[in-house]
Amino acid sequence: MHEIIEVGLTVNGRPHELRIEPRETLGEVLRDRLALTGLKVSCDSQVCGACTVLVDGLAVSACTYLAVDADGRSVRTVEGLAVDGRLTPLQQAFIDHAAFQCAFCTSGMLMTATALLEENPAPTREEVVTGLEGNLCRCTGYAPIVDAVLAAAAATAEATA
Amino acid sequence: MIPRFSYSRPRSLGDAFHAHAATDGEGAYVVGGTELLQVMKMGLAQFRTLIDLKGIAELHGIEVLADGTLRIGACTTHRQIERSPIVAASLPGLAELELHLANVRVRNQGTIGGNLAFAEPHSDPATFLLACDARVELASPAGRRTVAIDEFVLGPLYTSREPEEILTAVLVPPAGKGGGRGYAKAKFFERPAVAVGVALTVVDRVVVSARVSLGSITEVPMLVPAAAAGLVGAAADPASLAAAARIAAASAFADLDAVDDLNGAADYKRHLAGVLIQQAALAALTEATPHA
Ligand SMILES: Cc1cc2nc3c(=O)[nH]c(=O)nc-3n(C[C@@H](O)[C@@H](O)[C@H](O)COP(=O)(O)OP(=O)(O)OC[C@H]3O[C@@H](n4cnc5c(N)ncnc54)[C@H](O)[C@@H]3O)c2cc1C
Ligand code: FES
Ligand code: FES
Repeated sequence: MHEIIEVGLTVNGRPHELRIEPRETLGEVLRDRLALTGLKVSCDSQVCGACTVLVDGLAVSACTYLAVDADGRSVRTVEGLAVDGRLTPLQQAFIDHAAFQCAFCTSGMLMTATALLEENPAPTREEVVTGLEGNLCRCTGYAPIVDAVLAAAAATAEATA
Repeated sequence: MIPRFSYSRPRSLGDAFHAHAATDGEGAYVVGGTELLQVMKMGLAQFRTLIDLKGIAELHGIEVLADGTLRIGACTTHRQIERSPIVAASLPGLAELELHLANVRVRNQGTIGGNLAFAEPHSDPATFLLACDARVELASPAGRRTVAIDEFVLGPLYTSREPEEILTAVLVPPAGKGGGRGYAKAKFFERPAVAVGVALTVVDRVVVSARVSLGSITEVPMLVPAAAAGLVGAAADPASLAAAARIAAASAFADLDAVDDLNGAADYKRHLAGVLIQQAALAALTEATPHA
């Protein structure tokens, strides 16, 4: 018999009790057990960022993060961003700036940028570029993505001013 | 999928040693898993049990000891080091290095202890900490010992750590009066292609001692005493120091057995090392002479 571990984690605000194998990655648990398929597993080696989710507010590669390590923690995925169909300023800015084409990278970009803006609500362009360095996009050439993150920061600052 | 293993989550060093002994040599410690899970996924290594060290409180935390030594717990993540005010004040070159290491996800997950214990030849911290004359602290059921970085990292993926030993902390001595430490790297992929660390001490506007380390370019980070000797005696102003570094590199790096790989040809890497030593020396000088 192989080992099964009981874990309790919160995903997008909802508590889940799961019986999992230690070898299961957070990506496998979110996609295959909880049907949260927004994250994509692409390179499977922590390089591309398509699998980015937040654990206790920090961006991690769900492809190479053990689900047992999320025991007792709070996980956020792209599905948890919009509330009642209302997009976050960041999501809206991605649309306004055409910051995606095929969109395979988008959920990862959104999660990395969400964590970045929560930590640093008024980043410089350089800080955004450095912060998104580990998220690869084959389509947009990155400029519209960086523009969108900066626009979201500005929109949020204006709304709270 | 990662091959099956069982998972142990000890809360103390003693429990971790027990868990390790119980695996009969088929267990491995894990912290961030950014290296270990990757090699297991690729089928390059298999372990029956992984022993997670993250839950052991004493392996976390950053402090400056009474003698000025910076002590970083092995399970401290790259991101925690990058954002630590203590590190920014006592070893600013390390905070800067961490900001440019890997990507934000690896920095959130990966640890300084895991980095050194894995001994990947392209480690940023190993190269810089070698210039800083840092030591690692190891614990085993038999007790504790500290080992200098160059006696710890012995080869690619090879260290002097015994299988049951746990790396508990990294210890970096203070720069001292007139001292500074700098680091510079060139990278084209995730990890550095060439990296240089420089530590120096300035007295009366002259460099009186220096250490130079090279990393990524050879199979194991190494000190280059000939390059360090070339910095000693240089006037402590940017132009003189850069000139001394350039001249020192031209001879000290000429016969270097650089690895020829996707990161570049050996000749090109030797050239890069000659450029980077100047940048690292100037960064060290900035710390050494903050009011100049
Ligand atoms: C895409 C990518 C890019 C990267 N880029 C860089 C880079 O630019 N520069 C760089 O320096 N590194 C880079 N890395 C390496 C990065 O994985 C390490 O820096 C990381 O910190 C390893 O720590 P970990 O906690 O994840 O180690 P783990 O994977 O958990 O462990 C690594 C090894 O060390 C052992 N170990 C871990 N902790 C201890 C301990 N306390 N005591 C005893 N043994 C221990 C484990 O048994 C294992 O063998 C990169 C990695 C990836 C995946
Ligand atoms: S799939 Fe995880 S980083 Fe690429
Ligand atoms: S939009 Fe296609 S990969 Fe980014």
